[in-house]
Amino acid sequence: MRRLEVDGLPAVLAPVSGPTHAGLVFRVGTADEPLARRGITRLVERLVTNGRGGLVGPEHTYFHVQGSAAAITEYLAGVCEALRDPPTQRLAAARERAGRAERDPLPMWRHGARGFGAASYPEWALPGLTEDDLREWITRYFTRENAALWVAGDEVPEGLALDLPSGERRPAPAAATTLPVTPAFFPGETPGVVAWDTVVRRGPHAAVFANVLERRMLDELGGTGRARTEYVIRCDGTARIAAVAEVPPDQQEAALGGLVDVLAAVRAGRIDPDEVAAVVKLTCTGLRESESRGARLPGQAFSLLAGREVQSLEEALAEVRAVTVADVAVVASEAYDSGLLMTPPGGTAGWAGYAAAPAMSETVLAGRTHRGRGNRTIRLISGDEGVSVTGPDVVASVGWESCVAMLAWPDGARHLIGEDAVVARIEPSLFRGADRVVREADARVPQRLRIEMPPRDRDRIPRPEPAPRTGAGRLYATLTVSGLFVLFFVAGAVWALIRLLTGLGDTREDALALAGSLAFGAFCARYCWIAARDLGSLRKGPHHG
Amino acid sequence: MLPAMPPRQPVLDPAAAYPRINALRTALDSGDWPECRSVLDAAEPVERTELTMIAFGETGLETFLRGVLTGDPGDGAAGALLGQHLIGAAWRIRTAARSEQVSRERLAAFTEGLEVAERLLVDAAARSPHDPAIWTARLITARGLRLGRSEARRRYDRLAAIDPHHLPGQWQFLQQLCPKSGGVWALAHTFAGETAAAAPPGSFDPVLVAEAHLEHWLEEHGRSAAAGRRYLSAGPVRDELNEAADRSVRHPAFRRTHGWVRVTSTFAMAFALLDDRPAAAALFTALGDLGSDRPWDYLGDPGPTIVKYRKRAGGGGT
Repeated sequence: MRRLEVDGLPAVLAPVSGPTHAGLVFRVGTADEPLARRGITRLVERLVTNGRGGLVGPEHTYFHVQGSAAAITEYLAGVCEALRDPPTQRLAAARERAGRAERDPLPMWRHGARGFGAASYPEWALPGLTEDDLREWITRYFTRENAALWVAGDEVPEGLALDLPSGERRPAPAAATTLPVTPAFFPGETPGVVAWDTVVRRGPHAAVFANVLERRMLDELGGTGRARTEYVIRCDGTARIAAVAEVPPDQQEAALGGLVDVLAAVRAGRIDPDEVAAVVKLTCTGLRESESRGARLPGQAFSLLAGREVQSLEEALAEVRAVTVADVAVVASEAYDSGLLMTPPGGTAGWAGYAAAPAMSETVLAGRTHRGRGNRTIRLISGDEGVSVTGPDVVASVGWESCVAMLAWPDGARHLIGEDAVVARIEPSLFRGADRVVREADARVPQRLRIEMPPRDRDRIPRPEPAPRTGAGRLYATLTVSGLFVLFFVAGAVWALIRLLTGLGDTREDALALAGSLAFGAFCARYCWIAARDLGSLRKGPHHG
Repeated sequence: MLPAMPPRQPVLDPAAAYPRINALRTALDSGDWPECRSVLDAAEPVERTELTMIAFGETGLETFLRGVLTGDPGDGAAGALLGQHLIGAAWRIRTAARSEQVSRERLAAFTEGLEVAERLLVDAAARSPHDPAIWTARLITARGLRLGRSEARRRYDRLAAIDPHHLPGQWQFLQQLCPKSGGVWALAHTFAGETAAAAPPGSFDPVLVAEAHLEHWLEEHGRSAAAGRRYLSAGPVRDELNEAADRSVRHPAFRRTHGWVRVTSTFAMAFALLDDRPAAAALFTALGDLGSDRPWDYLGDPGPTIVKYRKRAGGGGT
């Protein structure tokens, strides 16, 4: 392996057994994207490559090509040219191609709606990104100073020119966290899926631990489902270890219990030496195989970009071989302590000692209150600090200063997303006089944070609902009292009717009494009926708020 | 002349049948952990689990047992005892009433108490994954915390992999399969039947068949004695009960090891309720002066109830 410089870019070159390939790496990824620009790196990548060879990660984006020296030279020159002068006529097509990506909810719960957490969000901003936005993004990140090259082959292809605009090195974003306490949990949304992630110091110990964990999870599942773990290094010297288990939905509680037990076991230091030895052996085999294919080169190019020394195969092998059971146990304990667990939908892991990750705000911001239409239990509050939306046991507050994006619909709805991922939903249809809050939000939230959303279908616009029904006890009381009144008035009506028919008393008085009894009886009967209906629906099933 | 003595009530304290219980109680009371361990270590697996379950009813053990665990976090016996003790403390908050009759505050405190127990047991199981007493305790917490049937099944499978004939755990899992814990009768009867069929002759396991039928009887027909008798004496149920008794209490290989009183007493109750007096009488005779709270407490105060049914069956005791 050699280190060299190509057109001012740091580069690594290593001979390989297979076909020649090369890659151009930039220090930019989804973690750099503000939520209001989410998807912009992928859009640049699609625009520049026309859909061939590009890949966007959390911190790096690379353009990769395999083939003859001429093919490599042509592809990379094309990438550089497109970055200098973006083919904006292809913008619409590139946008189409960007499509939908699978989203992992854990980063949002750990990091909020910024940095590494943005990866959990849809690319809402994509349709609204302009040529200017793209140029600005390219100027900031896709520069000579923010790039590195790898070549898997005997020589740098002849005539390779990397004509990139000049700029500056952009350090990776710091990983913020919104979790006040760990280990923590939150309920997921996909039945049958249980997941967990953690952030630990990177290194061979952590990589071995991730593989040991996968084996333990597979062992625990015993064929009822699938499990895998992932080890992803970060520029700040940490690594994310993520684990996912997928099982049939009727097995999801067992999958959660199994994962809890596996994590508790490794935390308690119960790590099988044979398993560590097996993983170390496989890792070494994998490293050697990667080296021969040149698959270690992208990682080495990342190191160059981070200003770190590039590790030779022998150094890497020696490090992995030195990993002991005790090392893995130390990682396991560290990993457990900063863990975040995703339970199946509606589940909890409080019983296993995991704290509930905050799903809403702790405080209600001061300001003017707008009551709910129909439902008096919900409130929208707007003030100098920001907006709060409250309901029974729910508070969503987003300060003007901590708002990272505002989704704006043509029907007037505004959703303010805070950096802690809390969403304050300003729905004009739900609150009295909410138009004023919409105008305030439009004035207070900077244009660059605003995301224009396509019109919503009529049934997606929330409609005012009456307040949640009262408890069964009160309904029973209403039913009893109004029922007694009904009986009383019915008895009165019958009595008056008898007197009328038999002509015993004063006909006019009796007719009046009959009419009155019928009217009051009907009035009470209505209450009776409503209470009975509500009781019936209470019994039918649990009330969903 | 002495007045006529009322019939003597059976001795319900399990310590009367199993002397190790008192040995363990004494050791626990005096805070003598090496002695506790020597009692527990000398016991067979089922007996050991039953012994750890006495911590459920004892009070004031927490400080002592936590101290033992601080010294050796990997001590599975201490983990199981403390787990049972904490479960017992939580259950006393809840009381034995059905969940819809317990106040919300009590249920919340019960859940909180069980979570404390479960967290301890998660760690105990992590350190001693092959301890049947810990998995038995975790079947109780799984049910109390409503962790789901598949999770209870996973825990039972872990237990069964260690000891496929572990009656204390089987009983807990059977409870999980009953409708009161979110199960269905078919599952409960199938589990009882399969476990009984897989057990060696003369073992305790077939009592699960009787347990399942008694649960079913109580839940569906307990309010009317006649309907209850009809359910239990219906051909198939009667046959199953007889077959289970033949494979268990009435088999020559049946041994009077820890747990035999409750097994015998359960069969006695089933036969007494379906009015098979000779069968019940034989079992009452086998029990002599001994008896068990469960499952007789389903009928009221166990002592006088046993006396009543024993008298009706015309056998056993004095």
